[in-house]
Amino acid sequence: MQIYLPIAELSVNLFFLVGIGGAVGFLSGLFGVGGGFLLTPLLIFSGVPTAVAVASVTGQVVAASTSGALSHYRRGGIDLHLAMYLVLSGVLGAFGGVATFAVLRDAGQLDLFISLGFLILLGFVGILMLQEAVRALLKHRQGIVVRERLPNQHSWIHGLPWRVRFKKSRLYISVLPVLAIGLFIGFVGSLLGIGGGFIMVPALVYLLRVPGNVVIGTSLAQVVAMMSATTILHAVQSQSVDILLAFCLMVGGVAGAQFGAAAGKNLRGEQLRGLLALLILAVAIRFGLSLVLAPADPFSMAVTR
Amino acid sequence: MTRLLALFAVLLSFALPAQAQRLISGVSNDTVQITSSFDGERLTFFGTIAPEAGATEQTVSGPFQVVIVVLGPTQDRVAREKTNNFGIWLNTEQVEFRRFPSYFHVLSNKRLLEISDIATLNANYILPESYAMAPNPAGFMKTLNFGRELIRLMSEDGLFGVQETGVQFMSDTFYTAQLTLPSSAPPGPYIAQTYLFKNGELIARKSEGFAVRKIDFERFLAQSATQYPLLYGIACVILALFTGWLGGVIFKR
Repeated sequence: MQIYLPIAELSVNLFFLVGIGGAVGFLSGLFGVGGGFLLTPLLIFSGVPTAVAVASVTGQVVAASTSGALSHYRRGGIDLHLAMYLVLSGVLGAFGGVATFAVLRDAGQLDLFISLGFLILLGFVGILMLQEAVRALLKHRQGIVVRERLPNQHSWIHGLPWRVRFKKSRLYISVLPVLAIGLFIGFVGSLLGIGGGFIMVPALVYLLRVPGNVVIGTSLAQVVAMMSATTILHAVQSQSVDILLAFCLMVGGVAGAQFGAAAGKNLRGEQLRGLLALLILAVAIRFGLSLVLAPADPFSMAVTR
Repeated sequence: MTRLLALFAVLLSFALPAQAQRLISGVSNDTVQITSSFDGERLTFFGTIAPEAGATEQTVSGPFQVVIVVLGPTQDRVAREKTNNFGIWLNTEQVEFRRFPSYFHVLSNKRLLEISDIATLNANYILPESYAMAPNPAGFMKTLNFGRELIRLMSEDGLFGVQETGVQFMSDTFYTAQLTLPSSAPPGPYIAQTYLFKNGELIARKSEGFAVRKIDFERFLAQSATQYPLLYGIACVILALFTGWLGGVIFKR
């Protein structure tokens, strides 16, 4: 069954859209990430214009993260004070990201920068995660009990000025690294059409030492708020949000995420992280190859007006 | 005096091909409606060749050749070329084509080059390559090269095409042609130009218009996105929040 997408101006199989939404939703439920980093590339590779793919997935990420954020909120797993700082700087970063997006699109270099962005970001994060997961797995096999990182370990980050007390996270830290993380994720997320949960969580854990019980909830709350703002910015700036495309992906994604979350209970944390790392690396390699290998067709076209 | 002569010459040139034929033509749809299940649409062009009103001869004699050019709304398009720079493939060269047809299909009953000569075909923009030769600040050779690639890319998407058996003559003077408009055909005003050739000469032409437009819900969405982008964006967010919340409720997460 074909469905005509009014903004992308092409007709796509409805089951294909809901299907990839569901498949990515399953993985996002399994690994506890938004899934934007998989969905945007999948749409681009299946022929949806890059600008429409990025902007529409932004809307999908909001839906995918909402139910998780709500359940964490009910459990009290969100540090709203910390999330507020992250969102404020994140929205600022998103303004920069959406503006950069428009400049790159007009210059014909959007695809290049999106490929490069995915390659660098996913390659970097994927390798770090894989290292960590392999180390944990090896230790587990040797029977050593893995100790969580100590939350009271201090680094240079804790010596910065303008300290603020975050009660729920039991932190008394400078706002500068908090704002920097928000700004970076806002910029990258709006440029690449990803929520950035897979960068946010490690950043909160390793850089700010946010305790485990509020990390996921705070990150999800930040993704919902920031990606909502980004969706509106994309709608106003580039007018490339396809609400029908986003909705098909949402329906598949929200349903798939439930099954993924159920399946995830059968796997151990470090196994999940190892698998996620491999997935992230696979996407990074796919983008890397598209930059290095000779393209099947060196010519491409775009409508400028 | 020279102006008068020039005017006379122009009038003469109009009068010279004093052909006794005219084209009567039509198209099956005057609008093609894009709905949410739009998956392309089949159009039929038809027409007949009749003696000119007031002509002394009551019959027309062929053989005639008919060429139908279907043109979509114009857009500004760029063709870009990737080159290898230090191991990385980048878009480096590009040529912009202003007012380029977003859709172009030629239907004829015979090979185009057997119908008329290249100069006539190009002058009337009947060949796809005619668009690659249009004046462009990028220079003739570069424009030709990139224009051909652009036409190739658009042909691969079904937006450009030549069907040299697309027109059928049902009798000596009555013809029909069918064209399937793909779902990727951009919305807007379309023109179908019908050219009548005899012995390699263009003896009559006629044009019909039809519109491809989004209707109902599709039209509403596309209009909201461009006219009320802020509200549209907010609606997207509300829809996303609602879907996410509903998913959580249904599956009791």
